[in-house]
Amino acid sequence: MRFFEHIGKYLFLLRKIFSKPERFKIFMKQVLQEIELLGLNSIGLVVIISLFSGAVITLQLGYNMDNPFLPSYLIGMGNRETMLLEFSSTILCLILTGKIGSQVASEIGSMRVTEQIDSLEMMGINSANYLILPKVVAVLLILPLLSIVSAFLGIAGGLVAGPLAGVVKIADYIEGITFVFKPFYVFFAVVKTFVFSFIMVTISSYFGYNVEGGALEVGKASTNAVVTSSIFILIFDLILTQLLLQ
Amino acid sequence: MIAINNIGKSFGGKQIISGISSTFENGKTHLIIGQSGSGKTVLLKTISGLYQADSGAIDFDGRSLMDMNQKEQKLLRQEIGMVFQGGALFDSLSVADNVRFPLDMFWDVSEAEKRDRVDFCLERVKIVDAHNKFPAELSGGMQKRVAIARAIALNPKYLFCDEPNSGLDPVTAIVIDNLIAEITAEFGITTIINTHDMNSVMEIGEKILFIHKGHKEWEGSSKEVLNTENEALNSFIFSSKLTAQLKK
Ligand SMILES: Nc1ncnc2c1ncn2[C@@H]1O[C@H](COP(=O)(O)OP(=O)(O)OP(=O)(O)O)[C@@H](O)[C@H]1O
Ligand SMILES: [Mg+2]
Repeated sequence: MRFFEHIGKYLFLLRKIFSKPERFKIFMKQVLQEIELLGLNSIGLVVIISLFSGAVITLQLGYNMDNPFLPSYLIGMGNRETMLLEFSSTILCLILTGKIGSQVASEIGSMRVTEQIDSLEMMGINSANYLILPKVVAVLLILPLLSIVSAFLGIAGGLVAGPLAGVVKIADYIEGITFVFKPFYVFFAVVKTFVFSFIMVTISSYFGYNVEGGALEVGKASTNAVVTSSIFILIFDLILTQLLLQ
Repeated sequence: MIAINNIGKSFGGKQIISGISSTFENGKTHLIIGQSGSGKTVLLKTISGLYQADSGAIDFDGRSLMDMNQKEQKLLRQEIGMVFQGGALFDSLSVADNVRFPLDMFWDVSEAEKRDRVDFCLERVKIVDAHNKFPAELSGGMQKRVAIARAIALNPKYLFCDEPNSGLDPVTAIVIDNLIAEITAEFGITTIINTHDMNSVMEIGEKILFIHKGHKEWEGSSKEVLNTENEALNSFIFSSKLTAQLKK
């Protein structure tokens, strides 16, 4: 029963978020700020996890494919497909949810418990629209880009680590990453990231926006935001994979 | 003038305030007093429209809050300045930007005019050298004063202050009280202040509303308050040794 209450309140919040901003100039300024805060500040994390994961996946593919009948270019291809199909969208978003989701939930939550949200409402400002819409727009703009960057870096990680560890020759790896390349998979990664970004930022905002109590509850809300966003990202991963790849 | 008639509010089936009626006049400072948990904040937030009243009527100079649509309520809110119990300054904005915020949102005037207005409001609350500081860098008393500056930025007709001087030393508390009372008289604002500070009652209370367990227990002037026969009010006012001795 609580579940349906949450869904109802979540949809209600979405309706509040998606209305016309009070001042377009201020809105644009906020979007740029959020792009920096939520997007650009995540680049370091994305670079590190993508490079290393691409490297590790390449090594594991190499060590598990010692059958001489399997051509070694499959290693490069395998890494490319893993990156595009799952890592650079789903896994990346799950990791970023830990950072962005908790940040969003705690920022909005602490504004709630210190009456800053009441303060906005009291001025006649739609607080959900003012606080959350810039975050949604920023994340939807920047995370799909980060996803593509992540796929490139993951493939690059394999390119460096594979030959260094001796599991694949550079030429074979490069042949692999270009072998029957389906551009549709890039589109697939971008669509998934787009949906997951929306889930992450709106669910986290929901938890922050509806905090009741004090600092302790803000902490709990931030944890709940990350857990719930992650679950929904996985559910939608299943749905989108079925819908787009069948 | 704000007139409230028989207003009530409950949360989750629990009645918090009920049957409260009163009037609040222009250019006067009205105090709502009562114990912690008696429902002062809920009453103030209900009058302001932040909480929707379950029953009763609230009129702002003849305009009924209950009959307003969303757009009209939004316009009314621009006539209301509110100082929240904790100050509620935006902690990502500097002091000057906090005061400027409502101007940026609702005023179509030049940069220079906005800057002048910010300076005027901050000067009015005696904050001079803190324009670029952030709320976290201010003392509690300064935060309250900046909150007052922000509340008066748009020249409000109505000013609501929730315990503007709680947690402050007696000297600063009186400074803030007097500040609000002065601004109220100067600009003919209808001001309602929540407090449980007896100093405020004696200093600036032109009309006092005593809330006890969610209903209006007593109403009168600050002179009448000391000679009241009302038992609940008496035990509220004369609860400390100091005030009890003063009475003798
Ligand atoms: N949003 C809310 N939801 C549920 N109950 C609430 C809410 N706000 C206040 N209450 C309850 O209403 C009662 C009155 O609270 P209120 O904050 O108005 O007291 P107060 O007189 O302002 O006290 P204080 O002097 O400590 O600020 C309390 O029992 C409180 O738990
Ligand atoms: Mg209160």
